[in-house]
Amino acid sequence: MAQTFTKSMARNIFYGGSVFFFLLFLALVFDTESGLPQSDNRAAITDDVARGKLVWEQNDCVGCHTLLGEGAYFAPELGNVYKRFGNSTDAIKAFIASRPKEGVPGRRSMPQFNLSEEDLNAVAEFLKYASEINTQNWPPSIQG
Amino acid sequence: MKNLNRPELNKSSPSGPPLESTRGGPHIENSRDAIHVKHSPSESSDERTYPPGDVALWIFILAELLVFGVFFSAYAFTRASNVELFNTCQRTLDTNSALINTLALITSSYFVMRAVAAIREDKSQQCFQWLLAALLMGFVFLVVKSGEYLHHYDAGINLRTNLFYMFYLSLTFFHFMHVILGMVILTAVAIKATKGGYSAAEHTGVESGASYWHMVDIVWLVLFPLVYIMH
Amino acid sequence: MKYQSQAVAKPYFVAAIGLFVAQILFGLIMGLQYVIGDFLFPEIPFNVARMVHTNLLIVWILFGFMGAAYYLVPEESECELFSPKLALLMFWIFLAAGALTILGYLLVPYAALAELTGNSLLPTMGREFLEQPTITKIGIVIVALAFLFNIGMTVLKGRKTVITLVLLLGLTGLAVFFLFSFFNPDNLVKDKFYWWWVVHLWVEGVWELILGAILAFVLIKTTGVDREVIEKWLYVIIALALITGIIGTGHHYYWIGTPDYWQWWGSIFSAMEPLPFFMMTVFAFNMVNQRRRNHPNQAAVLWALGTAVMAFLGAGVWGFLHTLSPVNYYTHGTQITAAHGHMAFYGAYAMVVLTIISYAMPMLNGRTAANSGKSQVVEMWSFWLMTVSMVFITLFLTGAGVLQTYMQRYTDNPQPFMVVQGRLELFYWMREVAGLVFLVGAVLYIISFFVGGEEPEQA
Repeated sequence: MAQTFTKSMARNIFYGGSVFFFLLFLALVFDTESGLPQSDNRAAITDDVARGKLVWEQNDCVGCHTLLGEGAYFAPELGNVYKRFGNSTDAIKAFIASRPKEGVPGRRSMPQFNLSEEDLNAVAEFLKYASEINTQNWPPSIQG
Repeated sequence: MKNLNRPELNKSSPSGPPLESTRGGPHIENSRDAIHVKHSPSESSDERTYPPGDVALWIFILAELLVFGVFFSAYAFTRASNVELFNTCQRTLDTNSALINTLALITSSYFVMRAVAAIREDKSQQCFQWLLAALLMGFVFLVVKSGEYLHHYDAGINLRTNLFYMFYLSLTFFHFMHVILGMVILTAVAIKATKGGYSAAEHTGVESGASYWHMVDIVWLVLFPLVYIMH
Repeated sequence: MKYQSQAVAKPYFVAAIGLFVAQILFGLIMGLQYVIGDFLFPEIPFNVARMVHTNLLIVWILFGFMGAAYYLVPEESECELFSPKLALLMFWIFLAAGALTILGYLLVPYAALAELTGNSLLPTMGREFLEQPTITKIGIVIVALAFLFNIGMTVLKGRKTVITLVLLLGLTGLAVFFLFSFFNPDNLVKDKFYWWWVVHLWVEGVWELILGAILAFVLIKTTGVDREVIEKWLYVIIALALITGIIGTGHHYYWIGTPDYWQWWGSIFSAMEPLPFFMMTVFAFNMVNQRRRNHPNQAAVLWALGTAVMAFLGAGVWGFLHTLSPVNYYTHGTQITAAHGHMAFYGAYAMVVLTIISYAMPMLNGRTAANSGKSQVVEMWSFWLMTVSMVFITLFLTGAGVLQTYMQRYTDNPQPFMVVQGRLELFYWMREVAGLVFLVGAVLYIISFFVGGEEPEQA
C-alpha cells in the first residue's frame, strides 16, 4: 500500500501557505498601524525629538547601548534612562558631556562625542520621548 | 470525521508514520517510476490508504491543528484568571449566528464526504455537485460571520479592546481565513473534478481537499463551544 | 565542474572566507573589550568594532550566497551563466563598496562618515545592522538587482528545477525586503517595526529558502538520492519555515510600543519555528542514510549534516528558549540574545556557506570531486574546532545572560547594568578563549584547501 506524497501538493502548500500567512500578517500589521497612535507617544515627537533621533543614529549609539532592548549589549539600556536619571534631561546631558576623551583606564567608557549644545539637548529630548512610549511595562526593573 | 466515513480503516492501516515514505528506497528507482508505483492500477479503490489524501497535506494539517491547539489552551488559561471579563463579553456575542454557522459547516462537511463517496464510484459529475453544495455552505458561513464582524466593527470593537476580544477576534478571524483557504482548495478540486481529473482509482486530490475541509470544520466545532458557549 | 561559467563563483568564495576571518578578528577585539574595557580605546571604540563585526558577517554571507548561486544555477539549469562578465564586474563593485564602507567605519568617526555621505538627505544610518551609509545601501540594491537579473536570465533559458526556483524566490525576497532599510521615520516605534521587516524577514524568512536550496543541492550531489524526494522535502520544510516565521515576526513586537496582542501571536507562532529546523535535521540525516553512493568529499557531507544540526540548535532550540513573551520579558536584550544570535547565525548561515564552499571549491580548483584524504582530515578538524567552540561560546554567553537577567531584572534588589557586567567577567573570559579556538578552526579551514595530495577514489 503506497502512500501518496506528491511534490505538487508540497509545492501548493508552500505557495498557498506562504501567501495565506503573509496576508494574515498584513491584516495584523494593518490593525497595529491603526492602534499605534495610542501607544507610540507620537504626540511628543517635536522637531527636537526628530533631530535627537538623527543625532542618536549618526553617532551609532545603538552600537553599544540597547534602546527598548534592541541594539548592542555592551552598555546600559537607554529606553528608560530618563526615568533612571530621575526624570531629568539635564542629568542625561551632563553625563554625555562629561565623558573623558581618553576613556577610563581598564574600564568601559563612553566616547566623548563633542556634541553641540543643540544636539545634546535634542538627544536628551529624544530619550525622554522614548521613555514615554508604552512598552507594556518593559523593562522589568529600573536598571534596564 | 474520517473515522465516520471509513469504518474499514483499522484493518488497512499497518503502514508506518508519514516519514516512512522517504525511506522507501527500493520502490523509488527514479521519479517516473515513483509516480507510476503510486498510481498503479493494481491498487483498487477499496484498498484505502491511511491517511487519506496527500501526506504533505497531513503534515500541514497537523501543524495547523497544533497552532489552534496552542491558541485554544492559551484562551483557556487566560480565561481562568479573567473569568468575569470573559463572561461579560461572551454575552455580547451572537450565539444564533454562531449556531447557524456550526450547522453550515457540519452540513458542508457532510457534502464533502458525499463528494468523496461519489468519486470512489467514479461519478465525477456528482462529486462536482456535492463539492458545489459544500462550497455554498462555506459561503453561508462567510456571510454570517462577516455580518458578525460588521456588527463588532460598528461597536468599535477591535483586537485592542480587551483580552477577551483579542482572543475572540484572533481565533475566529484566523479560522475565518482558513474557511476561505478551504474554499479555494475545494474550488480547485471541484474544477478538476468537473473536467474529469479524478477517478475511482486516483482521487487523492479529492481526499486531500476533503481532509483539509474537515480540519476547518473540526476546529470550528471546538471553537464554537469554547468561545461562544462555555461560561 | 560541468560549465565554464561556474568558475565565477571562486572569487566570491575566496572573498567570503577572507571577510569571515576578518569578522572573527573583530569579534575577538570586542570580546576583549568586554573584559578590558579600554582595549583599543578610543581608536576602535566598541560600537565601531561591532559594526565591522556584524556588517562583515552580512557581507560575507551575501558573497557566499551569490557564489553559491553562480556555482549551482548553471549546473541545475544545464546551461552557461547568462553573463559571467557581469558577475565578475559585480564582484569587484561589491567588494570595493564593502571595503570602502568598512574603511570608512574604521578611519573616520561615524558622525563624520554620516556627514561625508550626506546621511541627512535620506537618513538611513545608525540602526543596528543597517549602519551602512545610504550610498552603500543604494549600491547594495544595484548589485542585488544585477545579480538577480543574471541568475534570473540563466534560470529562464535553462532547465527549471525546484532548487533554482526556491533559490531565486529567496534571493528576490532578500532584495525586496532590503528596501525597507530605506524607510526610517522619526517615529521610533514605526522605525523599529519596519526595521524587523529587513532583519527578521531575512533571517527567519527568505534566507531560509536560500539555506534550504543550497542544502538540498549539496545533498542531491553528495548522496545521489532521487531529486524528486529531496525536492518535496525542501518544499515542506520551507513551507513550514514561512508559515511559522512570517507571523513569528511578532516575537519582536512585544516591548517596542506595539499593541499587546503581539505577545500572543508572536509567542504562539514563534514557538513553532523550531519545527522546520527539526524537520531539516531529520531530512538531512535521512538522505545521508539512504545515500546511493559514497561521495569522495566526506568533509562536505559533514558540513551539510552539521548545518542541519546546528541550525536546529541555534535557531530552533536557543530561539525557543527566550521566544515566549513571559520569558522574553526578562531576557529581552541581554546576553541570552547574543548567545542565540551567535549560534543561529553560525549554525544556519555561516555553516551553509562553508558547506557549499567545501563542496564546490575542489572542483573550482580543477579537481574532479574532492580534495585529498589528508586535506579532508584537516577540514574536518576545522569543522569540529569551529563548531564545538561555537557551542561553548553560546553556553558561556547563555550563562552570562541567565546571571545578568537574574541580577539586573529578576531579584528583589536589581543591580545597575555596569555592576552586573563586572560580575560576569569570568564568563566573558571563557567566551574569549573559545573564540580563539574558533579562529584556529577557521584558519585550519583555509589551510585544508592548500594541503595537496591525491584525490580519494570515487566510491
